[in-house]
Parts: sequence; structure tokens; C-alpha cells
Amino acid sequence: MVEVSLERVTKRFGRVVALDQVSLVFEDGKFTALLGPSGSGKTTLLYIIAGIYKPTSGRIYFGGEDVTDLPPNKRNVGLVFQNYALYPHMTVYDNIAFPLRLRKLPESKIDRKVREVAKMLRIEELLDRYPSQLSGGQQQRVALARALVKEPTVLLLDEPLSNLDALLRVSIRAELKRLQKDLGITTIYVTHDQAEALSMADTVVVIDRGRVQQVDTPQNIYNRPRNLFVATFIGSPPANVLYARLTEKNPSLACVEVNKARFCFEGERAARLSRLGGEEVVLAFRPERARLGTEPRSDMLSIPAEVYVVETLGRENVVTLVVGASMVKVVTPPSQVPRLGESYYVLVDPRDVMLFDPVTELNIDYIEA
Amino acid sequence: MRPRVNPALFFLLPALTLIAVFYVVPLALSIYIGFTPLRNWNIAGGYLSQVTLENYERLFHMVMYDPDIGKVVATTVVFTVVTLAVNVLGGLALALTMYLMDLSGRELSLGFRTLWMLPRMTPIAVYSLMWYYFFLPGEEGILNSIAMRLGLIDEPVNWGNDPDLLPYGAWAILVVVNGLVGVSFGMVVFYAALRSIPREQIVAARVDGASTLHLVLYILIPQLRWHITYVTVWQLLSLLTTYAHIFLLVEWGAVDEFWGSNWALYVFNKAFALGESDQGLAAAAATILVLIGAGLGVLALRLMGFGRMMAEPRGEV
Ligand SMILES: Nc1ncnc2c1ncn2[C@@H]1O[C@H](COP(=O)(O)OP(=O)(O)OP(=O)(O)O)[C@@H](O)[C@H]1O
Ligand SMILES: [Mg+2]
Repeated sequence: MVEVSLERVTKRFGRVVALDQVSLVFEDGKFTALLGPSGSGKTTLLYIIAGIYKPTSGRIYFGGEDVTDLPPNKRNVGLVFQNYALYPHMTVYDNIAFPLRLRKLPESKIDRKVREVAKMLRIEELLDRYPSQLSGGQQQRVALARALVKEPTVLLLDEPLSNLDALLRVSIRAELKRLQKDLGITTIYVTHDQAEALSMADTVVVIDRGRVQQVDTPQNIYNRPRNLFVATFIGSPPANVLYARLTEKNPSLACVEVNKARFCFEGERAARLSRLGGEEVVLAFRPERARLGTEPRSDMLSIPAEVYVVETLGRENVVTLVVGASMVKVVTPPSQVPRLGESYYVLVDPRDVMLFDPVTELNIDYIEA
Repeated sequence: MRPRVNPALFFLLPALTLIAVFYVVPLALSIYIGFTPLRNWNIAGGYLSQVTLENYERLFHMVMYDPDIGKVVATTVVFTVVTLAVNVLGGLALALTMYLMDLSGRELSLGFRTLWMLPRMTPIAVYSLMWYYFFLPGEEGILNSIAMRLGLIDEPVNWGNDPDLLPYGAWAILVVVNGLVGVSFGMVVFYAALRSIPREQIVAARVDGASTLHLVLYILIPQLRWHITYVTVWQLLSLLTTYAHIFLLVEWGAVDEFWGSNWALYVFNKAFALGESDQGLAAAAATILVLIGAGLGVLALRLMGFGRMMAEPRGEV
């Protein structure tokens, strides 16, 4: 098992810049989730690690070894696709044996390894079937077996569960996580599904338009997004964003005003706010960290708002409110079902308020003094 | 209430009528004429009412003892087999080349494809004329002038008729001319089939350690199996019955009359030759050709497991 690192990797397809100066370290034996919207360059990144694409510039290292110019067969990576990509003309057994046969292993050894991995993934009774005779979940296990039978040093998974139904996804998710821990393979897992990323990964990498936005623990990605993109991409529903005016800019006391609600920050926050260039700041907070109250509170950001839509989800309600020209969402307990048109105060603890520079969109907590 | 006649029949009727009028009726007529001594289109002469096996006896006798007919039979076999191989293997090679070019991101393939379609798009007479000039016996023949300029030969060669080169000279010309026409068919079918293979399979094979040769042998060609079957059978049948290019080459004297004729052309000449023509014999010869074609077609489908392709999938899907 190895550590995989990328050094200023850029990949261009004609005029499209799929990856832009990506530098990343995937730690040895760790499970890293790669999260990003469609077209952000996730698959390209995996293909570059697998050796399918050559980077336009930059280097790739496995452990200490520079593998940038090595072809895929010299890298020993396992790759699993969203559409499984099994060879339709081969039986399950032959699919799994294929990489070993290319390595010219003796047939007895191949047989042993194929049966071993089939047992681990509980597909022994499927070995004689063809891919077209398998369900989606079974096909995905076969694809995983084919990737694991090589005993790869790096396992790359490109949205492996997206074609499965929700229940199956949750159960395979847990198995996959367990398997990865048992085998200790450095794993990079591409997904659209943030619940998947946050629940499975040791580290989450958020990527957008070919650029790395944040590399952090799931907790920090969620609680301390580095920029506005991460804040609004992560979470369901994602963070609320409001533009506020900076009315007071003292290093010891900085005040913001949004929709006639005024709130003052002290200490570190005030110092950081006071260093902002303009007269504006972007406020963001998570819907589940806000409450609805009938009265403003002096120790909380209290924004007057009017109920616009209420979605009752059983376990909770998602309330959409109008704040000036914007909308915000607040998650309320099932007991609290506001009525349309009612006026409330959206209450947010200042520690749950995230502040961003409107120009760079960086979280002010991350701006170096 | 269930209709007594399947309503699908109503929709099929126009097509079925066309097939009946232009295919089934002529086929039946042709088979029947093969059992009559019809000659010189003398339909009113009462020949059509005399049913006889004479044509088949004569054909058998000719094949056994007439050296010219022996040449035609040999030419038919060699021409069909070799051209078929050129068509299928050539089409496969071209399709794989283009597909691999696409994979490596080179944008040559469209022009390349069009180039190989040209022989099929060119009118038969124009295309044949081009080859006629190419193989022309005199110094002005293209092949001759190139070969002489390169110093390969001193005297111009009569490629299709020189007794020293027969039968191979004539056969080579037939194979080249027809092979290039047929190759684009396989190419288009195989290329389309290759393009429909999901890209991820190719990536998976590469990651599994496959070289380009492995990819071709273990992933691409096995998935073309049914397409290869289809193209082989289709081309076999069309090569057995083709004669247009060959007719012109023989007519213009580019190839020997017998070493350059296949069975289909022989049938055509027998039936439609100016002066003495023998429709009864031609029809009998054509019937034999149809039987051979059908037999070979069925055999080829059997050998390549067509039945399994059409079978219902097993297990849950
Ligand atoms: N082979 C290629 N040729 C040209 N452009 C490409 C190629 N592969 C990817 N791109 C472009 O590069 C960008 C990144 O694509 P990529 O497939 O890596 O996205 P992704 O993050 O995997 O998206 P998705 O979540 O939809 O799978 C896209 O703009 C895409 O159009
Ligand atoms: Mg992708």
C-alpha cells in the first residue's frame, strides 16, 4: 500500500481545463472521498492516477516513486466504475481472472485467488454466470472483485454505488468501508452523494471546475467550509447565504446588518471582519443550526422573516422563509409547524454563523492575517 | 372478440406484395425454366411445356468434361473465398485501426473512412474503367508504367491474359477490384459495433494490464463475433452472385474470358448473350447457385452459433 501524491497536476482537453494545478496527498491506507459537481474533473483525476490519461503538466508519485510516465499496467491500481464495465462476453469467473491471466500467473494460482476474492465478496455461486444474468448489486460486487483480485496498492472507485437503489447502497456502503479497513488499501472514492462521502471517508476532497476547494475531515468540511462553494455544495439542504452590510469595523467590535437585523461580533471574529476590504460580508448558516423564534434575542443573530413554504418530512420540517430579497431554509422539529405568511425571527448562534469575503469568497476564518 | 386474421398482416401486405412480385414469382419461374429447354427467348415456341432434366445433365457433363467450365468453377471458388477473406479481414483491420486511432485521440478517422467508402460510392462502370486503365496491358497502363519506371519489369505485361500468369493474374485482378468494393461494408459494420462498446470497458482492460494487442484479441474481437458472422454470410451471398464488375472487365478484355469469369457471370452470359442464348441452361445454373448459396449461408450461421445469438437470455437480467 502506498501514499499517492499529485504535484501541480494540470490536464487539458483541447480548450477545456479539466484539472487545474491540483496538488493533493492521498494518505497511505486511508479512505479519501472526492466530492464535486458534474464535470468538475473527478473522473479525470482518477484516470490520471490510473495512468489512462497523461497529465498535461505536473507529476504523480506512488510512495516515493514517480509514476507519471508509467503505463496503467505498471501501476497496479484497481478501478471500479459506475456502470461496472464488466466484459460481457466473459463469465464472472473469467472477468475476475482476466487481470491475473494478463500477468501470466499459473492457472492453479489464478483459480485460488479468484475463489478467495469471490468468497470475500460472497459471489461464489455466481462464477459461471455472464454479466447480463446478474443484478446491478451483483455486478458491482464482481467489478469490485475484479479490481481487488490484483491486490492493488491503490483502489479507485468512480461513483460505484450510484446505479444501485437506496437500500442496497446503504448496505454496500458499510461493507465497502469495512473491506477497505480490513485490507488497508489506499482508496479514493468519487461520489456525488455527500452523505456517502461524509459518512465513509477519513478525508474529503471537494473539487470544482478542476480546482481543489478544500481537503479536510468530514467534520471540518461540514462545519468549517473553506469557501462559499463548499458551504453551499455540502449539506442537504445546503447552507443559507445572505449578503450583509458591515456597519461597524473595529478590531474589537464589528457589526453586521442584514434585513434590518443588527448583530455585533467581538474578539477574533471582529478582528478578522475589520480587516475585510469592502463594506459587505457574506453570512452563511446551516438550516439545521438555526431556530425560529417569535422574539429577537440579543445573544443571537435574529433576522426577521416571513414563512413562504413548509415541507413536512416526518422526522423534521424544512421551512423556507423570505428575508428581504432572499430565501433561507430552517429545519424545525416536527412539533413546530409554522403557517404560511407568519412572521418569525430566524435565530442563529454566532458560533454557527460562517462569514465569507464577498470578493474572494473565502471563509474569513481561513484568511491569513 | 379476437379477429380471425392477424392485423399485422394488413401492415405487412404492401411489403409482402413487393416481395412476392419481384422475388418469389421470378424465383419460381426461374426454377421452372431450369427444367425446360427454353432458348433464344422463344417463349411461344412450346418449349415451356416440355419438362425435362436435360439442362442439369448438360451442366453436369460440362462441369466434368468442358475445360472452360472447369475454369469458371475454379475461378468462382477461388474468387469467392479469397475476396470474402479480403472483405471480412480487411474490413476488420480497417475498423480496428480507425477505432484505435479514435481512442488515442487522433482525428483522422472520418477522412480515412470516407476514403474507403469511395469504391462503393463510385458508379460501377467508372470504378471498373479506372481499374481497366490501371491493369492495361500496354506501356500506358498505370501498373505497367509504374513497374517499368521502378525497373521491376522491362516489357509491359498483360496482367489479366498473359498465359504465363494465368490463372493467377486474372484472379488477382478480380480480387483486387471486388475486394475494395466489399471492404467498406465490413468496415462500417465493425466500426459501428466497436463504437458501441462502453469506453469504460476499454479503460478497465487497460487498468487490468492489457496491451493494445490484448485489447484487440480478448476484448474487442470477441464482442464483434455476431457482426463478423453477419458480414461473412452477407458478403458470401453477395460475392456468389456478383458479376457487374467482372462482366465489364471480361467485356473490355482486361482479364481472360474463362479464368476471369465466375459462375454468376456465366449464367448471365448464357441467358442474355447476343445471338445464341440458352435460358433453360442458365436458369438451371442459377438454381444450382441459389442452392449452394443457401446451403453455405445456413452452414456458416450454424458454425458461428447464430442460434445462440437469437436465443432468449438465460437467468434474470
Ligand atoms: N476525453 C475527454 N475529451 C474532452 N473533454 C473531456 C474528456 N474527458 C473529460 N472532459 C472534460 O473535462 C471536464 C471534467 O470531466 P470529468 O469526466 O472528469 O468530470 P466528472 O467530475 O467526473 O463529472 P461527472 O460527475 O459528471 O462524472 C468536463 O468538462 C469534461 O467535458
Ligand atoms: Mg465522472
